[in-house]
Amino acid sequence: MIKVEHLVKQYGEFRAVDDLSFTVEKGEILGFLGPNGAGKSTTMNMITGYNSATEGDVTINGFNVYDEPEKAKRCIGYLPEIPPVYPDMRVKEYLRFCTELKEIPKKQRAAEVDRVMELLHVTHMQNKLIKHLSKGYRQRVGLAQALVGNPEVLILDEPTVGLDPMQITWMRELIRSLGKEHTIILSSHILFEVNAVCDRVLIINHGKKIVIDTPDNIIRTLGGTSGVRIAVRASEEDFRAAVATLPNIARVEVLPENVGEGITTYGVYSSDGAELRDRLFALCAARGFVLYELNSIQKTLEDVFIEMTGKGDTV
Amino acid sequence: MKAIYKKELRSYFTSFLGYLFIAFLLVFVGVFQYRYNLKAGFANFAYAIDGTATLFLFLVPMLTMRILAEEKRQRTDQLIYTSPVSVERVVLGKYLALVTVFAIAVAIICFYPPVLKRYGATNYKVAYTTLAAFFLLGCTYMAIGMFVSALTESQVFAAVVTFIVILFTLMIDMLVMMLPSGHVLALIVLIALALVISVITYVMMKSKIVTGLFAVVSIAGLSIAYAINPLSFDGSLAKVFGWLSVQSRFSLFRYGIVDISSYVYFVSMCVLFVFLTVQAIKKRRWEA
Repeated sequence: MIKVEHLVKQYGEFRAVDDLSFTVEKGEILGFLGPNGAGKSTTMNMITGYNSATEGDVTINGFNVYDEPEKAKRCIGYLPEIPPVYPDMRVKEYLRFCTELKEIPKKQRAAEVDRVMELLHVTHMQNKLIKHLSKGYRQRVGLAQALVGNPEVLILDEPTVGLDPMQITWMRELIRSLGKEHTIILSSHILFEVNAVCDRVLIINHGKKIVIDTPDNIIRTLGGTSGVRIAVRASEEDFRAAVATLPNIARVEVLPENVGEGITTYGVYSSDGAELRDRLFALCAARGFVLYELNSIQKTLEDVFIEMTGKGDTV
Repeated sequence: MKAIYKKELRSYFTSFLGYLFIAFLLVFVGVFQYRYNLKAGFANFAYAIDGTATLFLFLVPMLTMRILAEEKRQRTDQLIYTSPVSVERVVLGKYLALVTVFAIAVAIICFYPPVLKRYGATNYKVAYTTLAAFFLLGCTYMAIGMFVSALTESQVFAAVVTFIVILFTLMIDMLVMMLPSGHVLALIVLIALALVISVITYVMMKSKIVTGLFAVVSIAGLSIAYAINPLSFDGSLAKVFGWLSVQSRFSLFRYGIVDISSYVYFVSMCVLFVFLTVQAIKKRRWEA
């Protein structure tokens, strides 16, 4: 559906996007993740044909964005970082203009405007000037614009930025439901959001691809050693000595959590990824340590992200 | 293209800008008509139009400054250039909207000569050929204004630069008269000009090779031409700057001289600057 091949964007000496390749399948939601200035917006501007690529190709639905721009652009709805709205237009008037711009047949225009207004809940604002709308509503009108003509591909650049928590939840729901019929690329620097909404995640830093996979796989394969959080009534000496008898323990650390008097919380990590909980349970039972809490430490996408983009920075 | 055209045209008439432009133009044609035709008693309507043409200096930047700069500033260009409409059609749509606003004013002015005819011997041929030239002159300035607007995000910058460019075309005849006619000075000025153009190409294209090549070839060419026949440089400055004199091509019409080549000149200038606007936008998208 969307095929990006060896995409490069060069500004003088600076490579904003460096040899980026990936594909997005039909009906998939791809989360596009990276710290600020990683090249997310630049990449999106190239995918939508707003800017040209220095090298490389983008194919949408089989149409090359640079060779057949009109056909490719017809398949794309784009919500840039700043919603591209005219402050001096009324909501309905603006969306009407969008239907004309996107060459929707004349007879379907009114219905199309109504449809997108309904979908984004802006129908009651239709006669307001866009400059009088709040940031959240402006964002909605911007997304309504992207949905005009029901394009197969949606490119959304940080669609939840500037929304209040209620609107964010609502927007995520909407994007998820849109994902059933559309192919979506969604950029964000909020990891939770990407984790909640996307089928696959592409992490980039300094314009380079770091990884592309499902959120779970990223956490699993790049999460490193698996760990267990355990709270026991035992002195640090006794506990460390006892754990040392177990095989393949990478390290033991004291976690700064206060469960109760005389109870200490430890993080125990295995070096081979083996399940530690049954061993630790048996160990505590054998040594007579009273067990208060035992659970595995879940690495979040956030940890992985910080780990990987952080590594990129030190290089 | 139609969508852009309609949107632009509507925006001129929902903001007061379009009305203001037309009103100003009509008021000044009225004032000059009163001054020359009614007060001074000349039957030639072309005088009234001639005086008004100077006011393009203020009127054109007013209308053109926001046309592309504003789209960039409010990022709506991201909507337009990712829609299935080519840059050529976008620019043409916008330009035609400008021309339409101006055409409305000119259409109203078309009713003035018959009114004047009732009171004197107004020559229709002179009046309407001048009016046609006036229309094309305005279209030329608007194409230039649109081009300037494509180069920047700032309306103020666009307005100021357009103002300066139009002022330059108004003053060029006077400047040409002050230019030295001697061949040595002509050579120096032309070389300086070649260097200035080189700098501009460098700023525009950021290519050392093209810039260097242009500078070397143009300066070498000038020097060789000078070495072969220095006298051919006499008066060459006046000729070169004369090409840029948009206004002088317009002022012939009031004497009843219908100079078709001037019409062709104006139309070519319009086409050139519309083309340059398209190129400026494409180049910007390549870099940005």
